[in-house]
Amino acid sequence: MVLDIAGAVLLALGLLLATIGLYGLLRMPDIFHQLHPAGLITGPAVMLVLLASVATGSGEIITSAALVILFVLITSPLSSHAIAQAARRRPRRTRE
Amino acid sequence: MAEIVVGLATGWATLLLFGGGLLLLRAPDTLHRVLALDVLVAIVIILLTTLSYLRDVSYYIDAALALALLALTSTLVAARYVTRGGPF
Repeated sequence: MVLDIAGAVLLALGLLLATIGLYGLLRMPDIFHQLHPAGLITGPAVMLVLLASVATGSGEIITSAALVILFVLITSPLSSHAIAQAARRRPRRTRE
Repeated sequence: MAEIVVGLATGWATLLLFGGGLLLLRAPDTLHRVLALDVLVAIVIILLTTLSYLRDVSYYIDAALALALLALTSTLVAARYVTRGGPF
């Protein structure tokens, strides 16, 4: 019962974070501004939705979700940093 | 977990997927497109996870892991492509 409520809260929180991030991503003008809500979606939102697996009570699902959480924890800042570095180093256009 | 909660979450994740598609269509630049595809992969991972909770099958999360690995590689290569004009 407690696990059910915890899983539902984690799932709702993750989807709320993803919604806020997507809204911010659609509103922000620049790539550097956009990277902030994008990091919100690819990092914490995914991890919260995966953490809700404790409520399923299935060992297979929890193990796979823990693996994906570890992977996302490592790779989400990595890809975000690569995009920021590319945006900073790319050749400027003459018009701008 | 209650069936209806997971069902609602799956529906909401599908709506988020449409939002990500809108983001991809509005992207004016290559780097914006790379970022939009990264976000789309994250939303697809969320969708696969909720689908796995809904059907009580663990294989969908394994597919999500493979998708995350592929997304990391493609994002790194595409960012390097934008910077140097070539993938290597």
